[in-house]
Amino acid sequence: MSALRKALDWGKLAPLRLRAKTVADGVYAGSHRSRRRGAGIEFGGQRSYVPGDDLRFIDRHALLRHGTLLVRQFETETDRTLCLLIDASLSMSYRGEQAPGAKYAYAALIAAALCKIAVGAGDRVSLDWFGGERTVELATAGGREAFERVVGALETAQPSADLKSDLPAMERAVARVERRAGRGSTVVVLSDLLDLPEGAEVAIGSLGARGKTLTVARILDPTEVDFPFTGPLHLRALEGEARVETDAAVARPQYLAALEAQAQRWSERLLSRGGSLVLLSSADDPVKAVRKVLDSVGGLI
Amino acid sequence: MSFLVAAALGVGLFVAIPIAAHLLRRGRARERDFPPTALVPAARSVARERATLEDRWLLAIRALLIACLAVIGATPFVQCSRLSLNRSAGASVAFALVVDDSHSMRARAGDGSVRFERALGAARELLASAREGDAIAIVLAGKPARLALAATTDLNAARRALADLGETDRSTDLEGAVSLARTSVASVPHRDKRVVLLSDLAGGALSEGQPPLWTPVPELATPLENCAIFGAERRGRRVLAHVACTSPAAAAGRAVSLLGDKSGTLAPLAARGGIQELGLDVDPKLEHPELSLNGGDALKGDDQCPLAAESAALGVLVSADVSNASAETGGPPVLEQAVGALEASAALHPIAILPDDVNEYRNNALLLLDDPGGITPEARSALTRFVERGGVAVAFLGPRVEQTPLGATLEPFVHGAVHWEAKATGDVNAASLAWLGPEASSLQDLKLRGRAGLSTTDLLGGRILATFGDAQPFLAKRELGRGALFTVALPTSVEHGNFPLRPAFLALLDYFLDEARTRRGAAQSVAGSEWTFPLGANVSIEGPRGTLAVHERARTLGNAQKSATPTLAGRYTLRIDDKPEERVVTVDPTEITTLPQKPPGGGDVARASANLGSVDASPELGFVALALLFLELGLRVFRRVTRERLAPRAALRS
Repeated sequence: MSALRKALDWGKLAPLRLRAKTVADGVYAGSHRSRRRGAGIEFGGQRSYVPGDDLRFIDRHALLRHGTLLVRQFETETDRTLCLLIDASLSMSYRGEQAPGAKYAYAALIAAALCKIAVGAGDRVSLDWFGGERTVELATAGGREAFERVVGALETAQPSADLKSDLPAMERAVARVERRAGRGSTVVVLSDLLDLPEGAEVAIGSLGARGKTLTVARILDPTEVDFPFTGPLHLRALEGEARVETDAAVARPQYLAALEAQAQRWSERLLSRGGSLVLLSSADDPVKAVRKVLDSVGGLI
Repeated sequence: MSFLVAAALGVGLFVAIPIAAHLLRRGRARERDFPPTALVPAARSVARERATLEDRWLLAIRALLIACLAVIGATPFVQCSRLSLNRSAGASVAFALVVDDSHSMRARAGDGSVRFERALGAARELLASAREGDAIAIVLAGKPARLALAATTDLNAARRALADLGETDRSTDLEGAVSLARTSVASVPHRDKRVVLLSDLAGGALSEGQPPLWTPVPELATPLENCAIFGAERRGRRVLAHVACTSPAAAAGRAVSLLGDKSGTLAPLAARGGIQELGLDVDPKLEHPELSLNGGDALKGDDQCPLAAESAALGVLVSADVSNASAETGGPPVLEQAVGALEASAALHPIAILPDDVNEYRNNALLLLDDPGGITPEARSALTRFVERGGVAVAFLGPRVEQTPLGATLEPFVHGAVHWEAKATGDVNAASLAWLGPEASSLQDLKLRGRAGLSTTDLLGGRILATFGDAQPFLAKRELGRGALFTVALPTSVEHGNFPLRPAFLALLDYFLDEARTRRGAAQSVAGSEWTFPLGANVSIEGPRGTLAVHERARTLGNAQKSATPTLAGRYTLRIDDKPEERVVTVDPTEITTLPQKPPGGGDVARASANLGSVDASPELGFVALALLFLELGLRVFRRVTRERLAPRAALRS
């Protein structure tokens, strides 16, 4: 791996801290109400009693008047943990001619912006990685300091490592996130979903279990989205040993079809686990991209 | 070459750029990173195939385009080897093309090309550079010099005239050709006149004059080594071969032999230049014998020479009384001595009596009768047929004209009795004999013992060519068939006068020999010599290259005749009134022995010629470059359309 490739191409996305704040400011941010009903102040409605419900919340007035067991529900403001899982494999360092920066740089911007929004809403944030060098996992924390630490970690990390055949490394990263994310947490995975090992869909999809909200943001370079090449091509993957000699005109439709099929497969897998897939291009407006992620998360009030 | 020319031509080196680019592209596409490579299908064969086929066309077009641009850049300075006419202020030019079509032009030059073809090519190039309004004359320098095309502004006519020219074995008449060329362009109104000499310059001296001579192809005059057999005569069982060589080097180690001769006898050449004679024994049974010169030289065509079936020498029958017509000092009769002196190669056959059979006249062209004492009917018939077939018979009448035996007459010369006039005037009317030349005056004041009186005879339609001072006929001529009969009123014996001692006698004999040679047609002649035939004769000639055309022409003395001019050496078969005859045409030895001379004017003319040869090809090259540009654009469009159409198909295939 050359030294040139190791130096991340931030392009127009630097400096990350300022850009993240700008993006976060562009997104409507505020406190988000928890959909979780339980002990609280504001009445949230009634529902039928099921065994196991707390007897303190049985609506005795309704029982006396109608003879039906109902349980009173209340809404309460809760803090939610935002768990960021960043793909820092080598393929994320790619930057095409039309992109403002490398895919990792774009992912870092989106992550920092989400972090800013979450911290601003009083939520706590954790940061984990799969792949990469000089990566620092950050435990769940909140407040301004947490944002600074996340930005620092994002800036320090370098995309590296070939995960193509390293499923255990990915499973370890997923396990860390699972430990940190409790019920009601939001897990946002930022990755290009390329050159991942067999079984990565299962591992990442498992993050949507146990009351967690999972959103996978797939970040591709515009070149990867459009395949704008012409003439004879000789392509080489950044991870793995894949090399292809082809003709652009012949390969383009087949490539786009394969890319769409892959996205469809991921989407179906995530959907089955309660998660969702957001498709992003590193040439997209970061503000809109963050909104898409927030919409997918469903946390935007 | 100036710096500008070098720099412009240096642009041509950029041809290497598209070639290098092509090789790089053709070899392998540049490898590039692309993370989702695993999702890209391979289509290697399609990519390679297209890159190879299409790029070759593009490569050729781009390379040509760069080369065109380089040449366009250098064109104002580059001298093209094509000949062209330089014009002063763009004015029209009148030029005479002197094309040498002699035998020596059939030789190959140092680079292997035939001189005549080089000359014709140069003439075509010059003609191609001519414009409307230019006057062109074409003169041929083969002997005799001929005007192939009088000065004309019709360029198409000039092209047609050039296309009709062909190689010949004629000798060279450069002097006449140049004179003819200068005359041909003298009358045209053009101010700029030139004479272009396309010759090996192996001929007569070139005279200075106007317009000046330009020799645009000086390499034609490069000396060559050559030997040729220019004549082969049969003398009994021997063959006499005449060989000419340009130099001792050309003759060294070479020999003459008879083709088909089983004995394999060789007659080696002496190692010297010039003319030499060689003798060989010939097998009488050999049909159509042919001599051959071994070894090789610049001109293979003249290394063989056919041998005439019979003697090539002029056959002369002489009937003279040795006792009366001989000189006091002895030896053969005066008539024989005189003929031998005039025609050394003539085959003299003294006869005592006239042949009764026409076949005995075979191989002879001239019959000289001195003081005939009458001709018998049989001999008359044979003589008549001999003359009708082209023979020439001359009767020098003497005192025996009055002693003709019974049944014998002097026909077919004259009809009726001829009287011998013992006392007669001794002058011949020189004015009547002026056609003979200055020797005619030598027949004044002759010492004669008598003369034949022809005034009372019937000349049988003959014409009187000369008279005595008293207007009596001295010389009469009668045409008979293809031949002629001459009657001279004086004998050749010195006992009867001093007529045979006068120069005019020899001049007369020479005239008779010439007539015999012309009418009979020598069995061997030089290429370019004319053969004449009577107007009424049915003549067909087959030569080395097919049928030779026979034309009708008017002679200077008024009688129309048929004529043919063999221009190629070789064996010719003639049929004259269904009688076959064989003749051999050879090359002139001077064509071999004459070396090329220096072109007139030397280096100045050469430099002027070189300057005249520049051609600006910028417009043509510009058009070519433009066409190449459009071709590339078209190819690119075609390539795009084809790719879009083929892409789905290729995808399905892969």
